[in-house]
Amino acid sequence: MTIDPGAVARPTGRSYLARRRRTGTLLVLPALAVLALILALPIAASLALSLMDADTADFRFGVFVGLDNYRTLFADPVFALALRNSIYWMVVEVAVVVVVALWFALLLNHPMGRWSVFRIILLVPWALAPVANAVLWKWIYNSSYGILNFLGTATGVLPDPVVWLGDPGLALNALLVAEIWKEIPFITLLLLAGLQNVPRILYRASRLDGAGPWQTFRFVTLPQLRTTILICIVLQSIWALKSFDLVYVLTRGGPANATTMLNFLAYRVSFQFGNLGLGAAVADILFFVMFLLALAYVRVFRPARAAERGVA
Amino acid sequence: MADVELRAITKRYGAVEACADVNLHVADGEFVTLLGPSGCGKTTTLNIIAGLDEPTSGEVLMGGKVVNDLTPYERDVAMVFQNYALYPHMSVADNIGFTLRLRKRPRDEIRRRVQTVAEMLELAHVLERLPRELSGGQQQRVALGRAVIREPAVFLFDEPFSNLDAALRVKMRVEVKELHQRLGITSLFVTHDQEEALSLSDRIAIMRDGHVEQVGTPDDVYAQPRTRYVARFIGSPQMDIFTGRLERRDGITAYVVGSAAFEIPGEAAPTCDGELDMGVRAEHVRLNAGGIPMPVRVVQPLGSMTYVTIGWDEELLTSRLLGMAHFSPGEAVTVSLDPAGLLFFDRESGRRVLPDGALA
Amino acid sequence: MSRRGRARTRRIGIGLGLALFVAWTLAPIVWALISSFLPLRALTSTPPDLAPGNFTLENYLGVLSADRDLIGGLRNSAIVASFTAVLALLIGSSAAYALARLRVPGGGKILMLILVTQMFPAMVIIIPLFIVLSRTGLTDSQVGLMIVYLSFVLPIVIWVLKGFFEAVPRELERAAAVDGASTMQVFRLVVLPISLPPLFATGVFAFIEAWNEFFFAVILTQSSAKTAPVVVAEFSGQYVSLYGQMVAAAAIASIPVIVLAIVFRRYILEGFVEGAVKG
Repeated sequence: MTIDPGAVARPTGRSYLARRRRTGTLLVLPALAVLALILALPIAASLALSLMDADTADFRFGVFVGLDNYRTLFADPVFALALRNSIYWMVVEVAVVVVVALWFALLLNHPMGRWSVFRIILLVPWALAPVANAVLWKWIYNSSYGILNFLGTATGVLPDPVVWLGDPGLALNALLVAEIWKEIPFITLLLLAGLQNVPRILYRASRLDGAGPWQTFRFVTLPQLRTTILICIVLQSIWALKSFDLVYVLTRGGPANATTMLNFLAYRVSFQFGNLGLGAAVADILFFVMFLLALAYVRVFRPARAAERGVA
Repeated sequence: MADVELRAITKRYGAVEACADVNLHVADGEFVTLLGPSGCGKTTTLNIIAGLDEPTSGEVLMGGKVVNDLTPYERDVAMVFQNYALYPHMSVADNIGFTLRLRKRPRDEIRRRVQTVAEMLELAHVLERLPRELSGGQQQRVALGRAVIREPAVFLFDEPFSNLDAALRVKMRVEVKELHQRLGITSLFVTHDQEEALSLSDRIAIMRDGHVEQVGTPDDVYAQPRTRYVARFIGSPQMDIFTGRLERRDGITAYVVGSAAFEIPGEAAPTCDGELDMGVRAEHVRLNAGGIPMPVRVVQPLGSMTYVTIGWDEELLTSRLLGMAHFSPGEAVTVSLDPAGLLFFDRESGRRVLPDGALA
Repeated sequence: MSRRGRARTRRIGIGLGLALFVAWTLAPIVWALISSFLPLRALTSTPPDLAPGNFTLENYLGVLSADRDLIGGLRNSAIVASFTAVLALLIGSSAAYALARLRVPGGGKILMLILVTQMFPAMVIIIPLFIVLSRTGLTDSQVGLMIVYLSFVLPIVIWVLKGFFEAVPRELERAAAVDGASTMQVFRLVVLPISLPPLFATGVFAFIEAWNEFFFAVILTQSSAKTAPVVVAEFSGQYVSLYGQMVAAAAIASIPVIVLAIVFRRYILEGFVEGAVKG
C-alpha cells in the first residue's frame, strides 16, 4: 500500500520530534500568557510603584521618588517592629510545626498508627478555610466566654481570665498557636510520605546491629529524611510569611502593632492609609525575602533530586 | 512495499554514542533482525527507522527516498512494541481500528476490516474486551492486529515477545513467521534472543556498542561468524572458545590449550602465525572416537539430546550428543574435534581468520 | 525490664501519643461544632451549659436567613471556585503535558519559574490588579475574581499534572503517532482519557484552594460578588457577640470543602504530598 498523503497530516517536511516540540510550544503559550499578564506584569508594576509617591488609585499620577519610600520604611519604627514580628513569627512557626509534625509523622508511621482514620483527621485542619480557622480561634480565645479561659480558670491554671488577643505581650503568640495548629497536618503528610520512602531494610539492618529506637531514629531515619525536612522548612517559612487571614480577622494588626507583620503592614499602608507607593515598597521587601527563600528551595531541591536519581 | 536503507546512521546522546555509523540495506519483503544485548543500539536504530527518533547524522531511505523528515505514519511503517502499548481505555476492536478512525474511514469499513484482522489473529471473540482483561498472548496479538490493519510498507518489531513466557514465545514466533510468509511485508525485528533471530530472519544484523558486527543469513552468522563476538553470541549452547597456541612439529599442527593438544589436519589448519583463539561448537566435539582422554565433568540430559561437558586443567568443553547418552561424572572418555567445525580468531582484533590467512 | 515489658511500655507510649495527636487536632473543631449547635444563653453561661436538651439548629437557621449574605456568599464561592478550577484545568493540563512530554524549548526554566510563583505574597500583585480591574469594571465581579484566582491556581495545577503526565508510558504516545495521530490527537484521544482520575483530583484541589481564598476576595469584592470566606469574616466582626452564629457560619463555609477533601483524599494524599517530596 502506498502512502496516502492526504489521509492524515499533510507532510510538511517536519519530523515527529519537531512537530511535538512545535505543538508543545503552542500548548504552553496560553498558560504563559495568563501568568505573564496576571503575575509577571503586576510584579513589575509593583516594583515600579514602590519607586513612586502615589496616593491615588491610579498610580500613573504618581511622582517618581526613587528610593524615598524605602528610606522612609527603614527609618520607621513600625516597619522595624513589623519586620521583627515577621521574623519571630516565621522562626517560631517553622520550628514548632516541623518538630511536632515530625513527631506526629513518626507516630502515624508506626504500625499502630496505620489506621486510615488518622489520615482523614489530618485533612480537616488542612481543608479548613483560613478564615474559618480564624473565627474558630476567635471563639476559643474569647475573654469572657471562650473555652480556653473557662478551662484555665476552672482548673486553676489561670488565676484570672486572660485577654488573649488584647494583650500586646500575648496576642502574637496566640495567633501563632492558631496558625501552628492549622499548618501541622500538611507538613505531617509531607514527612509521612518521606518516612514511607525510607527503605524498610535499613530498619531491619539497624535492629540486627542492636540499635535501640532512639539510635535508629538518629542514625537511620533522620539522615534519610534530611531532604524532606529541608523542603518542609523552606515551604513552611514561605507560607508563614504569607499569613494574612488570622491577623485580619482577629487583631487587625493590634494591639499596638503587636501583631502587625510585613504582609499586613503592606495591606494597611496601601488600603487604609492610601499610600500606594509605600505599601508597594513593603510588599516588595517581603517579596524579596520570600524570593530568597524560594531560591533556597530550588537549591535544596535540585541536587537532592539529582542525587536520588544517581546523577550527582 | 518498500526496501529500507540506512546510510551512516549515527546517534549521540551527549558523549554517549548509541549508534555509530550504521549501514544496512533491507530488501523489499525481507525479514531482517537486529540482534544484540541491551544497550547495543538496536532499539535506537529501530526508533530512527520508525521516525520516532532523529539521528545525529545519516539518512534513512525507504523505497529509494530519504524519509528523515517524515513522521512514522508518513513513512508508512507500523510498529509492534515490547510492552504492547495498547490503549487501555479502548476495546480490542477500537485499538485495532484506531488508525482507521483517525483517517476518518466510514464506520462499516472500519468494522469490516477490524473483523477480518481479528479473525486472522483469532481475536474475534474478544473484540469488545479491554486490554487489561486479556492474556499476555492475546494482548500481543492485538498489537499485531493494530499493525497488520495498516497494510504498511514496513513492519517494525521492538522485542515484542520479551514479556511472554517461553512456550508462548515460541508459538508467537511461528505466527509472526507465518504472517510474514503470507503478507510478504518488509520487516525489521529487534531482539536479544539469538534463537528468535535465527528462527525468524532472512538475514540477521548483529549489533554491539552501536556498531554492526555482521550482517548475514542465519547460516552465515552461525557457521561463518565474522568475529569472535558473533561466534559467541549466536548458537546455543555458546561456542567454546579457547585461548591457546598453535604448535607445528614434525609436520603436525596442533592447537595446545593447557595440557591438551588438539591435532588439526592440514586443510583445516590456519596458515598464519600470530596469536589465535580457537572455537568449536558442541556438535563438532566427538566423544569416544579417538583423541585425547579426558574425564567427564557434567552431564545434562535434555531428552532429545545430551550435553556432556568434559574438562582439563581450568578448561571446559561441551559436546552435544543426540538422544539420551549415559555418562557418569568422572568417567574417562576420549575427545576429538571435527576439523570442519574449527574456527580461528585473531586474538587481538577478534576477527575470524580464514583458511587462506586473511581476516574475515 | 524484660524485653516484652519494654515493648509494652513502648506500645502504651505510642498509644498515648496517638491519643494526644487526635485530641490536639480535633479538639478545636469538636468544640466549634458543639458551640454551633448551642444557643447563646448556653454558651454564655459559666460553665457552658452542655445539656443535650439545649442542642438546637437556631444558629444555622439564623445565619442562613436572607438578610445575612451567607447563601449569596456560598453561591459566589461555588461559581468562582468551579469556573476557576475548570479554566485552570483546561489551560494547565495542556501546558503540563507540553512541559512533561513535548520537550518545549526552555521547559525546565519555565517549570522552575512556575514553582517560584507559588512563593511570594499576593500583596505584591494586588494593587496593579486592582487598578486594572477597576478600570475594566471587573471589581466586585465573579469574572474578575476568577481571573485573579488563576494566578495562584494555575501554577499548582500545572505542577501537579506535570508529575502525572510524566508517568504516562512513552510507548503509548508512540503507538498512537505510528497509527497516524497528530500530537494534539495523541493528547486528546489517548493521554487525557487515561488521566481522568488525576485530572479530576487536581480539579478538586484547585476548587478547594479557590474556595478558601480570602485576601483577593476581601479586597476585590464589595457586595454582589462576596465569597463565603468574606461573609464569614464580616460576620465575625459585625455579629461578634452572636458566638454560636459566628461559628455556625464558619462551619457552613468550610464543610463543603472538608467533605470534598475527605472524599477525594486518596488522590490528594498521593498526588500532592508525593509531588512536593519528589517534585
